[in-house]
Amino acid sequence: MDLPPYYPINDFGPAMKGIVIGGLGIFHVFLAMFAIGGGMLLCYFEWLGQTGRCPGAKKFVDGYFKAVVLVSFIVGAITGVAMWFTSIQVSPRTIGFMVHEFHWIWAIEWTFFSLEISSGYLFYRYGPKLTDVARLRLLATYAIASWFSLFWINGILSWQLTPGSWGDIGADTHSVWGGFFNAGFFPSLIFRTITAMTVASLAAMVIINLMPLDRAGKTDLINKSAHLLAPMIAMPVLGAWWTATMPADARATLFANIVMLMFLGMAVGSSVLIGLYAYFGLIRQRMYINGPTATLLTVLAFVATAGGEFVREGVRKPFTARAGLYSTSFTQVELDRLRQVGCVTNDPYPLQNADAYPSDQLRLGAKVFRFHCSVCHTYDGANAVLHLAGSWTPDQQRLNIAQLQRTKTFMPPFGGTPEELEALVQLIRWKSDGSPEAWPVSDDEATLAQIQAWLDEVGTRPGIELIHGGGAAEGGH
Amino acid sequence: MNSPFPFGFPGPTAFYLTLYLVTFLIHALFMNYVLAGSSVLAVGAVLRRDTGPISALLRDWLPFMLSMAITAGVAPLLFIQILFREQFYTANLLLFHRWMSILPVLMIGFYLCYLLKSKMVRDWPLIARVAVGCGPFLCFGFVGWSWVENHLLSVQSAETWQRQYEAGTLVFRSAELIPRLALWFVAAFPTLALLLGWQLHVTQKEDDGWERADAARRVAIMGLAGLVLMAIAAGIYVGLMEATSRDAVLGPIAAPYFVVWMIGATAQGAVWALTLKSGRLGTRSLAIATAGLTAAFFGMAVVREATRLGRLDLESLYAKHEQATRVGGFWLFLFFLVVNGAIIAYSVRLSLTARRPDADEPEGETMPDEAKPEAGASS
Repeated sequence: MDLPPYYPINDFGPAMKGIVIGGLGIFHVFLAMFAIGGGMLLCYFEWLGQTGRCPGAKKFVDGYFKAVVLVSFIVGAITGVAMWFTSIQVSPRTIGFMVHEFHWIWAIEWTFFSLEISSGYLFYRYGPKLTDVARLRLLATYAIASWFSLFWINGILSWQLTPGSWGDIGADTHSVWGGFFNAGFFPSLIFRTITAMTVASLAAMVIINLMPLDRAGKTDLINKSAHLLAPMIAMPVLGAWWTATMPADARATLFANIVMLMFLGMAVGSSVLIGLYAYFGLIRQRMYINGPTATLLTVLAFVATAGGEFVREGVRKPFTARAGLYSTSFTQVELDRLRQVGCVTNDPYPLQNADAYPSDQLRLGAKVFRFHCSVCHTYDGANAVLHLAGSWTPDQQRLNIAQLQRTKTFMPPFGGTPEELEALVQLIRWKSDGSPEAWPVSDDEATLAQIQAWLDEVGTRPGIELIHGGGAAEGGH
Repeated sequence: MNSPFPFGFPGPTAFYLTLYLVTFLIHALFMNYVLAGSSVLAVGAVLRRDTGPISALLRDWLPFMLSMAITAGVAPLLFIQILFREQFYTANLLLFHRWMSILPVLMIGFYLCYLLKSKMVRDWPLIARVAVGCGPFLCFGFVGWSWVENHLLSVQSAETWQRQYEAGTLVFRSAELIPRLALWFVAAFPTLALLLGWQLHVTQKEDDGWERADAARRVAIMGLAGLVLMAIAAGIYVGLMEATSRDAVLGPIAAPYFVVWMIGATAQGAVWALTLKSGRLGTRSLAIATAGLTAAFFGMAVVREATRLGRLDLESLYAKHEQATRVGGFWLFLFFLVVNGAIIAYSVRLSLTARRPDADEPEGETMPDEAKPEAGASS
């Protein structure tokens, strides 16, 4: 039938679904970075302590590990599960597609996650009573396992933007490893590893300030933990490498879109500030850093992570998986079919508030909005259609929605019939007029014919192909 | 479905079902400890009888067990998305905020477990101690209730889903909800009893005397009561469940496993009866109870799954399961499962043997000072 599966879509009210999943994702990523970098930091400090290079190191290791367990093992683990559940709420098709294609990668990651948690708890519980060799072995096991969790997840996440040689979405079989080791895999992996070291180092400085040590002891520990900030010097090169691996249209979106530029600026600006402070203050001059300043730097690292994650999410548009799944949860083949049969004709779920609409046309429009728009837009909250399209004339609305991929190249093509499009336009106009009790039905045949002509004119291929050629959708640039 | 599980299904479906059940059992082992254990602590807090060795063990181990339950839960959560994606996702979506609320609740329960373990709570006013003592059980009970509700909604017809969505209600009412939840709750006690039995056996010393026998008898009562209540709850649930599920549970697919479940439960019952009489937890009796629990666990898991299999149009899912088997990575998963499993075993061994000369001996590690009760105190 070539129709997408239909799920009961929830209304998030004024909250944009992308912000909900993005916000949770950033929080989870930051905690995961803390745990991953923490493993490396702890190994380093344990070695410093055991070799007599830093007298307070062992005490710090046990204290820091408590923070890892109480923060990362609890909130980090549960937000990890929450990522799955929230992804289901936002786009069940996307997460289902990814789970299907990469379930063995996720299963492998689970074995490393189990190892990470087991070795972590063993160290937490028995660490103070173990021999030096055993302590270091447990910490190394924890550090390696947590880094490999990143390794496996990184392959899936980078595949979303650069599918590599994974293959066509419609094919019977795909090359999992061709997709996993995609062009963005290594720059992304190394970049994230350095980010993890940075987050762990800055968090360590906060924790050191909470420890009952004298100023000299704290300064020594802080200067040692600043060693993990040194790799930040490679970040510009890695960022450029990652950008070079992007599809050309995604790169164009990154530099041409003001919102993307703003998030990129947040990420780069915060990283530069941390890097300069680390190099001149902490590494060269070996300064002491107090609790509030350490906290401020950690917050900056959070801002950098947030900016980076939003950029990563944003440049994929109009796809959630560049291999061919639009952010509207349909594939190219399904889009072609939806243009013929309608996008909600086969949607079995009724409206939850059908009586609120004065006509069947508006009810149809509400279903079209729910299916086609609500994953990224609200009515009048964040990224609201009423704010974006409410001021247009009726013909502007018809044309711009019919040729959505031309209106904004990061938007997916409209996947419906002229009747559905007109119903959506009327819904926007009705809402913009304050949802009056009566609203005329718009069924002028000339209008529908004009919409059909506009739809035919632009076709069903993504807008990114209009400027970058036919291979853009496959991410082959 | 005229053959015992997993025969009668195409290879890919049987493969993923088995994988799902095996990983679910690992998760359930820890989950049962957490659910039943937190309820024991809650009762202890209300009755102000929470100072014995069992309470001390539970307070000490609950955070770890919860962490392992969450970690082990990832694998069955993954495979259920391969097996029953549309059903699972739809139930998630229909319950919406109500479903998502299990995450903050789980987090609160987790931190309460750590709070319960800390010494500062002992100095708090009674009402605060009771609240902290009951909090984890309320949280985990809510999570359990939500999972049961999610499962029951996932096996409904498309028409029911549409009605549920249209009504906009975030609660799914079903006559099966309470009996099913009750069954899983009481069935958690035999697992708790066995794990506590091993913990007491490993950690207590010969000179513990009276407390040792008392704790063993309490564990035996827990195990026996769990088994008896489980049989009653199972009977009620089978009587109330939807006809197609009941046919599956009592039909060829699950009937042999029903027998395995009964044999395993009988073995456990015999061990706990003897323990109640003798007040001793021996290695041999615990090993027999372990074998009984393993059999009962597996039997019960298949019977549980049969309630779902009997209700769904499985044939429509076969093609998707077959497609999933064509995805690469299984052999690497198997490799890392073995390697990482071995490293976990090595890490445990290392932690128990590689002690500094000035550290305490390994035994007694899990029995903090508070576990040594005053005369007459009980759990």
